[in-house]
Amino acid sequence: MNRADALIMKSHDNVATVIRDIEVGDNVLATLGEETFIVQATEKIPFGFKIAIRSIKKGESIIKYGEVIGKANTIINAGTCVHIHNLDGVRGRGDIEKRRSIS
Amino acid sequence: MTWYGYPRPDGSYGTRNYVLIYPTGIVANTIYHFVEGTQGVVIASTPHGPSTDQAMFHRVSTGLALNPNVASVIIDCTGLYWIQSPSSPETVADEIAKSGKRVELIGLGHDDTMTVIGKGIKLAREMVYEASKLRRMPVDDSQLTIGVKCGSSDATSGIAGNPVIGYVYDKLVKTGGTAMFGEPTEVIGAEHLLIKRAINKQVAEALLSVVRSNENRAKATGEDIRGQNPSLVNIKAGLSSIEEKSLGALYKSGSMPIQGVLKYAERPKSKGLYFIDNWAARTSIFLGYAAAGAQIVLFQLGGGAYHMDGPLYNPATVKIAPLIWCSANPKTRQFAGWNLDFSSASVIDGKERIEDAGERLYTYLLEVASGTMTRTETLKYVDTTELYAKTGPF
Repeated sequence: MNRADALIMKSHDNVATVIRDIEVGDNVLATLGEETFIVQATEKIPFGFKIAIRSIKKGESIIKYGEVIGKANTIINAGTCVHIHNLDGVRGRGDIEKRRSIS
Repeated sequence: MTWYGYPRPDGSYGTRNYVLIYPTGIVANTIYHFVEGTQGVVIASTPHGPSTDQAMFHRVSTGLALNPNVASVIIDCTGLYWIQSPSSPETVADEIAKSGKRVELIGLGHDDTMTVIGKGIKLAREMVYEASKLRRMPVDDSQLTIGVKCGSSDATSGIAGNPVIGYVYDKLVKTGGTAMFGEPTEVIGAEHLLIKRAINKQVAEALLSVVRSNENRAKATGEDIRGQNPSLVNIKAGLSSIEEKSLGALYKSGSMPIQGVLKYAERPKSKGLYFIDNWAARTSIFLGYAAAGAQIVLFQLGGGAYHMDGPLYNPATVKIAPLIWCSANPKTRQFAGWNLDFSSASVIDGKERIEDAGERLYTYLLEVASGTMTRTETLKYVDTTELYAKTGPF
């Protein structure tokens, strides 16, 4: 059936989950049902991690499952790995509330 | 569909046929050890240490004994447990006896511990023998109650593993069965989707209240929830935020309406799908489901961050409610091998649809309900369990 390297869950998603280990320069075939997209990986991305399938601005929402999973804390170019270094969670941020209460 | 269960006097059906001895301690443990050859006795861990959440103690004490997989019950009255419990062993025994189940108390008199053990062994042997005379009968799916947890989650959990469980949940609920899910911390960021499925406004508000309370407890630490949840195991496997984890976790509940929000170890009031205000820890969650009446529980394992090739976690209570280990991760399938009860990695491989894997799991669920052993049931080994008390000892 599918020969996908990465899976896009919903049409508004700006990331896909890679389902094989990706090397720098690989043309990653990302699928959304029958639709396919190709994005070139700019870095190594291990199985199960996310790849940006288009460029994401700093502060922009990161979308997976058609829902917000966090915000970009920097510019994320297409083909980049999206993880805790460039994605900030929005919920359960006791650290942010603590800083607010101190200042 | 049909499965084969042990008929109980209260009209329920067991997927197993155990004599329950509790609370845990030298008396119950020793009886379990000596009467073990019959496979008829199970040990259940129960709380040590005081908690102000005394109603929960009572729900667990009665709930475990009322579980349909339990044929009869021996209650050990020695030890500290009953001093900390809000209800006496006699009160608990009376409540269990109302179900028509045989319940015996040991250690009420002035016997020393070894004498209580000796009397308990004789009694347990007789009760196991009596239970063995029962025969399984054909029964339909509506007599089944299940619970679920996802753990060591990774990307395969949200993409394939949990949706396959969700298919099974939908199918069981549609045919009149009962299904429970919970882990409120792992609803944070996905609550707007969950509340759409509440049967009324009260249930929606109860759901939101449970999730808010968990998020507030997390925020009160003054730290980012990330690292605690998603845990380092999740993060090392590629999950980046609690929102991402929650959205993936939610799939395991399927798509049916949510009938209500229950406390830890509280029994569902009707058939259908229920949300439980429990704790995600594997040491605790299955005890709660068993006390709430689950005859089988499911663990949806990711496992992407580490190799899992040994026997999987085997909490004591899953002997009461057998645990089916599932995973959608191809690497976990390879590492765990025969230890894994069910793999839906074929969905990740692109070789099977979620619905087809779901049908396979549903069939397997009924096989286990009818007596096929889970892989962990082949082990005597058990891990410890702990109760979920929101108010701990100080």
